[in-house]
Amino acid sequence: MSKMGIKARTRAANTAIYIILSVMSVLWLLPVVWLLLSALREESGAYTTYILPKGYTIHNFTRLFTETELFNFPRWYMNTLIVAVLSCTITTFLTLMVAYTYSRLRFKARKKLMNVSLILGMFPGFMSMIAIYHFLKALGLAQSLAALVMVYSGGAALGYYVPKGFFDTIPRSLDEAAMLDGATRNGVFWKIILPTSRPIVISTAITSFIAPWVDFIFASVIMKDNYDNYTVAVGLYRMIDRENIYEYYTRFCAGAILVAIPITLLFISIQKYYVEGVTGGAVKG
Amino acid sequence: MKNFKAALTKLPQTIGRRLVEGAKILQKGDARTRLSCLIMGFGSLTHGQVMKGLLYFAFEIFYFYFFFGFGWQYLKDFGTLGTAAQERVWNEELQIYQRVPGDNSMLILLFGVLTLASLVPFFVLWWLNIKSSLAAQQAIENGKKPNSFWQDLKTLVDERFHITLLSLPMLTLVCFTVLPIIFMILIAFTNFDQSHQPPGNLFTWVGMTNVTDIFWGDPVKSATFFGIFGWTMVWAVFATFTNYIFGIILAIMINKKGIRFKKMWRTIFVITIAIPQFVSLMLVSKMLTDTGVVNVLLQKLGWISQPLPFLTDPTWARCTVIVINMWVGIPYTMLTASGILMNIPADLYESASIDGAGPVRTFTSITMPYMLFVTAPSLITTFVGNINNFNVIYLLTAGGPLSLDYYQAGKTDLLVTWLYKLTVDKQDYSLASTIGIFIFLIVSTLSLIVYNLTGSVKKEDQFQ
Amino acid sequence: MKKLLAFALAAMMLFGLAASGLAEGETVTLKVWGSQEDQELLGVLVENFKAANPDTTWDISLGVVGEPDAKARYLEDPAAAADVFAFSNDQLLDLVNADALYEVTRNLDAIVAANSAGSIESATLDGVLYGYPMTADNGYFLYYDKSVLSEEDVQTLDGILAKANEAGKKVFMDVSNGWYIASFFLGAGCTLGLDENGKQTCDFNNEAGVAAGEAIRAFTADPAFLTGDDSVLTGGMGDTICAGVSGTWNAAAIQEKLGENYAACKLPTFTLNGEQVQMSSFIGTKLIGVNTQTAHPVEAMMLAEFLTNEEAQQLRFEMREIGPSNSNVAASEEVQANIALAALAEQSQYGVSQKYVLGNFWTPSEAFGLAMENQSTDDMQSLLDSMVAQITG
Repeated sequence: MSKMGIKARTRAANTAIYIILSVMSVLWLLPVVWLLLSALREESGAYTTYILPKGYTIHNFTRLFTETELFNFPRWYMNTLIVAVLSCTITTFLTLMVAYTYSRLRFKARKKLMNVSLILGMFPGFMSMIAIYHFLKALGLAQSLAALVMVYSGGAALGYYVPKGFFDTIPRSLDEAAMLDGATRNGVFWKIILPTSRPIVISTAITSFIAPWVDFIFASVIMKDNYDNYTVAVGLYRMIDRENIYEYYTRFCAGAILVAIPITLLFISIQKYYVEGVTGGAVKG
Repeated sequence: MKNFKAALTKLPQTIGRRLVEGAKILQKGDARTRLSCLIMGFGSLTHGQVMKGLLYFAFEIFYFYFFFGFGWQYLKDFGTLGTAAQERVWNEELQIYQRVPGDNSMLILLFGVLTLASLVPFFVLWWLNIKSSLAAQQAIENGKKPNSFWQDLKTLVDERFHITLLSLPMLTLVCFTVLPIIFMILIAFTNFDQSHQPPGNLFTWVGMTNVTDIFWGDPVKSATFFGIFGWTMVWAVFATFTNYIFGIILAIMINKKGIRFKKMWRTIFVITIAIPQFVSLMLVSKMLTDTGVVNVLLQKLGWISQPLPFLTDPTWARCTVIVINMWVGIPYTMLTASGILMNIPADLYESASIDGAGPVRTFTSITMPYMLFVTAPSLITTFVGNINNFNVIYLLTAGGPLSLDYYQAGKTDLLVTWLYKLTVDKQDYSLASTIGIFIFLIVSTLSLIVYNLTGSVKKEDQFQ
Repeated sequence: MKKLLAFALAAMMLFGLAASGLAEGETVTLKVWGSQEDQELLGVLVENFKAANPDTTWDISLGVVGEPDAKARYLEDPAAAADVFAFSNDQLLDLVNADALYEVTRNLDAIVAANSAGSIESATLDGVLYGYPMTADNGYFLYYDKSVLSEEDVQTLDGILAKANEAGKKVFMDVSNGWYIASFFLGAGCTLGLDENGKQTCDFNNEAGVAAGEAIRAFTADPAFLTGDDSVLTGGMGDTICAGVSGTWNAAAIQEKLGENYAACKLPTFTLNGEQVQMSSFIGTKLIGVNTQTAHPVEAMMLAEFLTNEEAQQLRFEMREIGPSNSNVAASEEVQANIALAALAEQSQYGVSQKYVLGNFWTPSEAFGLAMENQSTDDMQSLLDSMVAQITG
């Protein structure tokens, strides 16, 4: 085989790959483009008998903020933000506490607790949503944002797996050195583990921050008919109910974009850690 | 499974040992320690641990107040789940049939479970109270001073730091996961459905009826269960492996030497992950209806005359959900795979190319084995995730197209979407819970087998 | 013993109520459920209600739960459901079985006198009235495009399809929906009912039913046939669709799209065993019920009555073109002149009350409709047998 031959073959292969990647990109972006087109469409309705809108407008976006009589989008956005910030703070702390315990502390029930957590995590979550709703109701919290925060952070003890994998990779000698200097285990957690685990803290936080923006099941079970306390996901989902879809479909698309933008940015910022999470910290790079 | 069996056979032994230990404590303990069995904290209090003793005592008061003031009213009806139904009484003055509330079966079950569960921490603390009283007593007998409250507190940030760290997460875990799961498991053995709905009606224990129904008792329900179970498995296999293989291929293409704009390609695919699924999948499902944009486009192009039944024909719909799931899932695999690919030692590839291996050989003999080695655990998690992949199915087809062979279900329904629809649309809670238990059994068996095989759990200690 | 206790409790409660009664200054908190489209109207009515009863302090909130979803949302948590809620009368049986509704006992005679006999009947079970009739137009009929179809054409389904094919247009009907598909079976003479145990009976699998099933199969196989949900109809009417089966709630949207060519009439006849048979339909009403879990039954009843009285129904017609159950409003000129309501009235003589339809009917009938839309070639008898087995099961 001559050198030219190899070069030509490489070029042919690369061209083929460019073509495949371009086609795939188009396929993958098609729904995104369609979302944009629908959000900018002037005519209402979910279905049209033509492809490109007859008129373009940004009213679908502005009406989300001006026509708040029934669908109070700005309020839902604030609700979601509040719930996301609170549940993200609580979840992050609880998860890291549990992960640190399993990674660094040794006690009798450790193995058992880890295995039980593993099994509990496999129950389909909304199997228990009815019970959770009534527990919260008994506490007088049903249909409130506090309830939602509790639900989103309630399972934090099950999410220890990824951060624990990360903590495991921090050399123990660091802890020991600190303890020789008189630090307690509490001190080790705050002074050694947390500062060296910034990436995992950030990714745990962002993952739990995103959850309230995309969940519509639990939020709708808990909020039921209380429109004022809806999160954006539930609210948007209501817009495409059978009786609303004709009038609100284009606004649904506009709202969806407003939700998608922050999440996209956040996700792109943590994609590196996502990889580490899935591979249990086996990959560094 | 083995562990579980071992734990079961050990249980009588454990109880026996505790009883013996208890007897010994009572024997060794002085009157103050013995009195701690009745009045919690009495031993600690009188042995000089005032704060600890008071706390124990306060706990006992609080617990009795909870148990008799709240728990007992529900616990006493736990066996029947209530007998008095809501009644109507004519009110002459108001001219209405006033309702007299009866028993509420669901609250009885719910708070019954809560009260029963609360006995566990009570007995644990009660036990600790006696033991600590004995410890204090023995310390004094040996001429030492029992730990002060302050010393006890200090151990909580050091030797017993795990208790401090775990108590809050465990509390939330118990409240929001464990207790609700126990409650729902119990529901499976009742007749809680639309015609037995509190507060208007009562429901009660029915034993194994729901379980036998879905296996053989009720032909339609069992046909539905097995039909959906079969499809769930087929779906999980296809959904997992199509995404896995095509995701890796995509990653290889993007990461190939000489391909430019790597970051751009990756970002394009990541964007689709970041759009919430309830948006992107709803959108896709609207695009694929008879009058949706895809059919309109194909008709305008003159490629088809009748709309394609993407979501309405059973076979079409099943293929559609698998294909769309690739749209959802491939970017995830691509992300992971990119990270791993960069870590495959370059000399492996060099030696392969010296041996004259083509790209296919390299892929099957180097890339795949390495990938499988690293991602085996996450592959299982993905498989389990797909068994419970609610979003893709529910948002795309809602389980449809409905089938006359199935009970309240359609041809693309997974067990988990069927469960959801039975719960939310039909209030058929008992059947839904039964299904939930089986989902759990299937999923946990699978995972435990695999986790044990890969041994990653066993070895986790040795990493450090 | 238990009974005794219950009565003692009841006595105590009544005493308590009588004592506290409508103490002055007490705030009466009520929640009302209505559909999305009704919210504006309900807002106006609630304000009027407050103005009409100034002696009490009211705190009335509105929740959005459409009539079709009322039962399911109610049963999720009756105690958290609205005190006063609108529902369609096919849910009456299930709601009464769940002891969800207060009997209408106050002002009974006046309410019965004000509303049409049919609407009262639709809310009555075993001689007891359980809901306040709100509308009498929960039915469907045919909308069509005058520029494509003549009054002659719309008499028969075959005629409509022939013309539609000629013009390259579609005929819309949501066949995968038990509510609409029943019009074929009921037209062929099949029945839905209740047996003495309160279980559903259904004979859609008899000989006439099989023939009706074949007629549906032929209809769905026609190139002009189009199915989908309401948004498909409202999106394509006048554009690609020349005729569609739907109800009054779409009247405004369709009128807007068709403009001068807007027309409506009764459902057409269809070919059954070679003969023309009139399509039947479900007719129903929408009712307002008072939740048995409410803390203020008397006030809730006052509100329910107010939301359904003559003025309210008049306003509802003006704002939403909803067909009234109130006899006086129904007799008014504007209502009589309404095209959609006239078509509905014309159709209702062939209609069948949906009061005795239980919740179990909908899913199997939808599954059957889907099989038809997918041009299933299975044996009609066995398809219908399995549908009926599930409906009555």
